[in-house]
Amino acid sequence: MRDDTGAEISVSGVSKRYDGESGTTIALRDVSLTISPGEFVTVLGPSGCGKTTLLRLVSGLESPTSGDITVAGDPVEGPDPSRGTVFQAYHLFPWLSVQENIGFGLVELGMPDAERRDRVQEMLNLVGLSEFATAYPKELSGGMKQRVGLARALAVDPDILLLDEPFGSVDMQTRRRLQRELLDIWRDTNKTVLFVTHDIEEAVALSDRIVVLSGTPGSVRDTTVVEQSRPRDRSEQWFVDRVEGLFHRIEQNGL
Amino acid sequence: MATEFDPVTGSSRSHSEPTTTGALGRRWNLTRVWRGFAGTAGFLGVWWLVGREVPSYLLPTPDEVIGALWTEVMSGQLFIHLGESLLHYVPGVTIGVVAGGLLGVGMGWSQFIDDVLTPVVRVLRPIPPLAWIVFAIIWLGLGHTGAAFIVFIGAFWITFYNAYEGVENASRDLMEVAATLGIDSDRRLLRRVVIPDALPAILTGVRTSIGQCWMMVIAAELFGAPGVGYEIITSANNLAMARSIAYMLTISAVFLLSDWAVRRVRVHLLDWQP
Repeated sequence: MRDDTGAEISVSGVSKRYDGESGTTIALRDVSLTISPGEFVTVLGPSGCGKTTLLRLVSGLESPTSGDITVAGDPVEGPDPSRGTVFQAYHLFPWLSVQENIGFGLVELGMPDAERRDRVQEMLNLVGLSEFATAYPKELSGGMKQRVGLARALAVDPDILLLDEPFGSVDMQTRRRLQRELLDIWRDTNKTVLFVTHDIEEAVALSDRIVVLSGTPGSVRDTTVVEQSRPRDRSEQWFVDRVEGLFHRIEQNGL
Repeated sequence: MATEFDPVTGSSRSHSEPTTTGALGRRWNLTRVWRGFAGTAGFLGVWWLVGREVPSYLLPTPDEVIGALWTEVMSGQLFIHLGESLLHYVPGVTIGVVAGGLLGVGMGWSQFIDDVLTPVVRVLRPIPPLAWIVFAIIWLGLGHTGAAFIVFIGAFWITFYNAYEGVENASRDLMEVAATLGIDSDRRLLRRVVIPDALPAILTGVRTSIGQCWMMVIAAELFGAPGVGYEIITSANNLAMARSIAYMLTISAVFLLSDWAVRRVRVHLLDWQP
């Protein structure tokens, strides 16, 4: 297993162009961004601003048209378990039980059975799903599915964690709870986190730093640091002001 | 199960009132059983009335058929002929399902294989299996091998088509997840994601093959291969129609039994499905 500190993510001068039958779409233009080891950075922006594209480029599921992306100094060339990815739509393997989903990447690592069982148990405890170890995804609620998605990405002990609107499909109550849990996990594991969302409150509640991405093609409009200690109280004046400020900043930039 | 639209509640509903789950795990209720019983009795009644009026070489009565069935069972002849049919049915279906499944997965997965074989497949697939009987006869003779060949072709295309569709429609999203979790070869991806994802479609192909191939068996036997189908036609040629129908019912019974078995296996393998 790797040591327990996150890796630095560096995105420099990255553009992404899609050449389709209906013409060329530029999703990202000249995006640069550096995330320090262990930092929690949120990319915030409206739908269609290219934030998911940015996350997919860092995960290696797509490659940039120009520019460079490195993680811990190594260029990103294709997907790799050292960059854990969590998706909005969960994408659990429906034919595998919860424990088999969590152990999926461990099997690919060639981890011995006994060790794998321990690691899976550890992850089940981490996300509070021990009782559902043998359940199939169809038996789980949305919030539970995303806990499995998170545990599955964390099981292989990645250097960084990439989350693409992970709590976008669950109800408000569950979302708040999952956000708290994510912060606990982040604090305990020291992973570098790149979190993508369009929810301004979520960004202010979670992040060390918020990167506002907007426009078509998407580019970085603004970067703002949130110093307040966690957990953050959403009813405090500074929180409300921060959310309002970001809201107007995004509005001004337009789509 | 039939479904009716209920204008009062404005929703589709199943055909009956309160149900209980019986020992076989099926929905049982008295109304359905009673209606089914009435329908069967009606059918047998009409058959019996018509059969009584016409000579038995045109239509034997139900009791004559039961008599013939009894004779065949007691003499062991029925089991011998059924065994003959199984001797080409089982290898034909097995090899057809395996080969069709492999080709379907291969073509569904590999653009190269797909490009190379699509024209040939397009032309060959619509040909009914029985049309190959002439080649079955001149290549293999009309014994078990020839009949197995016909069955093979039937099972092959059915399974091929389902496996191909299943693999083509396998989830890209899940393949991406697998890639982020360390799968970096086609072989691993097929084994751990694509084939499990396509399994419901593949099993549908297997189940359809197992059913449809009874038709192929009988058709091949009507041309002279030994088995249940051959008994149907020779009995008829001797005007022993009751014996013909007894063997027709045998096929029905074997079909129902094998379909039930496949359904059980399918439910067991796919209990993860929503």
